[in-house]
Amino acid sequence: MLLLQVLVNGILLGGLYGIMAIGMSLIWGVMNIVNIAHGPLIMLGAYVTFWTFTLWGWDPFLSLPVTILSLFVYGYLLQRFILNLIVRAQLFLTLLITFGVEVVMVNLARIFWSSDLRQVTPSYAAANFAVGGLTIPYVRLWVFVTTVVVSVIFLLLMERTRLGRAIRATAEELRAARLTGIPVGHIYAVTYGLGAALAGAAGAMWGMLFPITPIMGGALTLKSFVVAVLGGLGTMMGAIVGGLVLGLAESFSSTYIGPTYPNAISFGLLVLILIFRPTGVLGRGEGR
Amino acid sequence: MSIKRWARLLGGLAVVLFLGAAPGIVSAFMVQFLINLFMMAILAESWNIIGGFTGYASFGNVAFFGIGAYTTGVLLTRVGFPFALALPAGGAVAMLFAAAVGFPILRLKGHYFAIATLGTAEMMREVVYNLEFTGAGTGLVMPILRTPLTFFYLMLAILAAVTLVNWWLSQSRFGYGLVAIREDEDAAAVMGINTPLYKTVAFALSGAFAGLAGGVYAYWITFIDPDAVFKVIITVQLIIMAVFGGTGTVLGPLLGALVLSAVSELLATQLATLAELFYGLIIILVVLFMPKGLSDLIRQGGLSLRYFARNLREYRI
Repeated sequence: MLLLQVLVNGILLGGLYGIMAIGMSLIWGVMNIVNIAHGPLIMLGAYVTFWTFTLWGWDPFLSLPVTILSLFVYGYLLQRFILNLIVRAQLFLTLLITFGVEVVMVNLARIFWSSDLRQVTPSYAAANFAVGGLTIPYVRLWVFVTTVVVSVIFLLLMERTRLGRAIRATAEELRAARLTGIPVGHIYAVTYGLGAALAGAAGAMWGMLFPITPIMGGALTLKSFVVAVLGGLGTMMGAIVGGLVLGLAESFSSTYIGPTYPNAISFGLLVLILIFRPTGVLGRGEGR
Repeated sequence: MSIKRWARLLGGLAVVLFLGAAPGIVSAFMVQFLINLFMMAILAESWNIIGGFTGYASFGNVAFFGIGAYTTGVLLTRVGFPFALALPAGGAVAMLFAAAVGFPILRLKGHYFAIATLGTAEMMREVVYNLEFTGAGTGLVMPILRTPLTFFYLMLAILAAVTLVNWWLSQSRFGYGLVAIREDEDAAAVMGINTPLYKTVAFALSGAFAGLAGGVYAYWITFIDPDAVFKVIITVQLIIMAVFGGTGTVLGPLLGALVLSAVSELLATQLATLAELFYGLIIILVVLFMPKGLSDLIRQGGLSLRYFARNLREYRI
């Protein structure tokens, strides 16, 4: 029974990791930017939800569109007016600038919201139900369902719309995309905006499960990395699979090996995957 | 060696001697600041070997620093080695670790390499957290040495050594080999360069100096814990210093460490809580306006609007 409970916990958490990593993977795959500011975007999403919840009493699930939209606008502007200026430079320069953005965001969050632990606690926060001996909190289940819905909407957007095609074309071959009349600067900004929106959605839900602080992003950036690489960059399904793998690995290792080891295990997993299968579990193309 | 080279070496020696005399002139606070500055400069220069010359952006160099600190610390406190033995051991273990990890990881390129090194550093932190003999999460307390100048001269000597190695790389066959790998690895291999060996040696050299700096740091600060010596931010700081000064140049990282240490010290005293915010803004501005570093700025003839405008245009989409 314990085994099954651990399995369910891992899957429910894995969905959230998946949605974080889709955004990371998208930004990385399209623009070749490793977005160190991804964790702070998640943090920002959490704080937007925290505000709408405490100031106006909005339900955190129902305010999700607002959070997603604000993060999209923020991401769009950031890419359009700052990151686009440096996007073709060497890798450590783009890494550095997103790191600079990270530092600025974290410190602004300290000023706006202070370093106190915040929480989003709707009335149903502690409620759970039992199925055949398994205990499942409602919030976790709804978070999982929401991540699935948001991911599906996002996948449809990427696969079925003109915008999605333009983004994929830009990722494939920048110059050819530009020649066919795609406004690449705008597309890059939209791509970053979408990544930020997904991060924001993840943050909104993260805030219902865990405390919100200005520094919560650092560890989540690393986890998004791990998941994006685990699944294979640029593949959206890969990010979801990678999220589930990390969720399960953490859930199992903290139950059976010890609660202090999950991070060591996820990073060990990362390095091993990179060495033996650098294109990820579902990846294709070349990584070395 | 040509006269110009001798002149440069002598100039370097003069600077070292001048700095060596500094503790007699400046305040105790300044000496502490200089020790820290030397340490960051060692880390930036050692990163430059792998990140600048070889072109492999390592985001895990703090692992070598931490391993050096912990090796020295454990040997000092648990085994009872004298510092004179514990310090070289710290450098040696960090070097061996770099070689062992580097051999598989250096096959990766670009982002994959960056993240593998980052993952390695984070994993080391977690491992040290969970080991008994390293003091786990509570850390290690060193005996206190009552002569702080020892650390000053040790850091200065290591800094001189690592700068010398960078200088040697800038004009030796081995160094040219590394640059060839950075410019085009396949072509370098075709030219007969044993690329895996070259890269591993560069990584090990980088690790050795970072490890030595870590060893001195441990005894200087007298207390280490996993979060302090395996902090990701240290890696990022030293990369920023190298980039700010100019990667792949001999004196660039040193210059970057000097300017940015001074700036962050000033920010910390003048702005207190806002210091980090401004540090972040500086990073953004530096990357946007002078991505090739101070040494390029100097070579191109100093500050001008045109220089900044050209940089802005260069990497724009």
